[in-house]
Amino acid sequence: MVYYLIICRSLTYAQRTARVLEQAGISAIVMRPPVKIPEKGCVYCVKISEKRLRDALIALNNAGMSHGKIYILYADGTGAEVIA
Amino acid sequence: MIYLDNAATTLQKPYAVAEAAQRAIRKMGSPGRGGHKSAMLASETAYNCRELAAELFNVPNPENIIFTMNATHALNIAIKSLARQGTRVLISSFEHNSVTRPLYAIGAKVSVATSKLFDPEDTVRAFEDRLGSAELVIINHTSNVFGYKLPIEKVASMCKNAGIPFIVDASQSAGVLNIDYTALGADYIAMPGHKGLYGPQGTGILIASGGRTLMEGGTGSNSRLPEMPDFLPDRFESGTHNMPGIAGLAEGIKFVKKLGTAEILKREQALIKFAADGLSQIKDIKIFRSENPENQTGVLSFNIGSEPSELVASELSKRGIAVRAGMHCAPLAHRSAGTYEQGTVRISLSVFNTKFEINRMLDAVEVISKNLNKIQK
Repeated sequence: MVYYLIICRSLTYAQRTARVLEQAGISAIVMRPPVKIPEKGCVYCVKISEKRLRDALIALNNAGMSHGKIYILYADGTGAEVIA
Repeated sequence: MIYLDNAATTLQKPYAVAEAAQRAIRKMGSPGRGGHKSAMLASETAYNCRELAAELFNVPNPENIIFTMNATHALNIAIKSLARQGTRVLISSFEHNSVTRPLYAIGAKVSVATSKLFDPEDTVRAFEDRLGSAELVIINHTSNVFGYKLPIEKVASMCKNAGIPFIVDASQSAGVLNIDYTALGADYIAMPGHKGLYGPQGTGILIASGGRTLMEGGTGSNSRLPEMPDFLPDRFESGTHNMPGIAGLAEGIKFVKKLGTAEILKREQALIKFAADGLSQIKDIKIFRSENPENQTGVLSFNIGSEPSELVASELSKRGIAVRAGMHCAPLAHRSAGTYEQGTVRISLSVFNTKFEINRMLDAVEVISKNLNKIQK
């Protein structure tokens, strides 16, 4: 399976992001990124299915929430930043 | 024991509070410090508590709910974010030392909006008269000594119109009175978790949108940077969280939400009226009650003649009745009511108190009142 990771500035923000997505019917899991993220250190992310990225970004936008970088997480455990 | 010292800490809690605290000790790690199961369980519990508090106090964003050790901690963050040495701060005449001592410590120029007890119109006038020179206003929602419900909505409106920031001390009102952060427009609202919200001791909440840190340290975020994060709640929550406390607090807030603050207030006011009516029948008792019951919550002060309040409390304690006497950490409130020398005996209720308990207290006060001369000898 391939997933997208929405990087969040804090755990609480990730939790809020996940709540907004869940309310929009998008399955979302808060977690530490399983790939190296060259951020400011210690970040959390929200993992969503590959197919739901567009819906997720619309839901976040509708809720007035910004998001951090987005990574794609491949089935072999590697990841790469994507431009949303 | 009959516990009538709920303004200090509610002793009887919903059963789920202790259960949740125990579960947290057994199962939870540190929120925001890992991605493993026990850390994520703690994270989910903390977030759930933020959401519950945000709903109860109409805070649009759970990130604005900051966990603190108690209301004093929360007030210190708020006060030290907005006041410096020389800042002109206007406070009510019913403030607690948790407000006056931080102001004294930083050297703020404090003026007091002195007003009569249980007179909201006089309180509004007192703020109106002195507002012009203020740079910050701090107002107690409810006096911890007398249960006087101050007109914070009107003072808030004045502050907003004048562009003056203001802080609300909701130590005695959180969980008892309706508090609407959005409608009030306060810069900060500070409250304990262990009183009207029925959480464990060591918990408090600050509703904030930013400010200065009181202490710095690890937050589990932006860890490569030397400075504290600028986003909430991390900015104010360095160090490991009190997860047993927060887990218990979440259950306490659920309990309050389920029962509703209107119902809690109604029950406490009815019982305070019953206590005040009963005390007023006892010889030599002076009670401090509002002519309009709507201006008083579940707190009542009284004295027996000119007897030291501490002596009366001590005699009640011997009879298994827990009350508090003296200054209640609020000398300013006692000055306002003319009880600075004697202090008062204070009974303060929770939703768990009963008429039976009040009757037992009344019986004990009557006996003590009749026998005080013998006791003192």
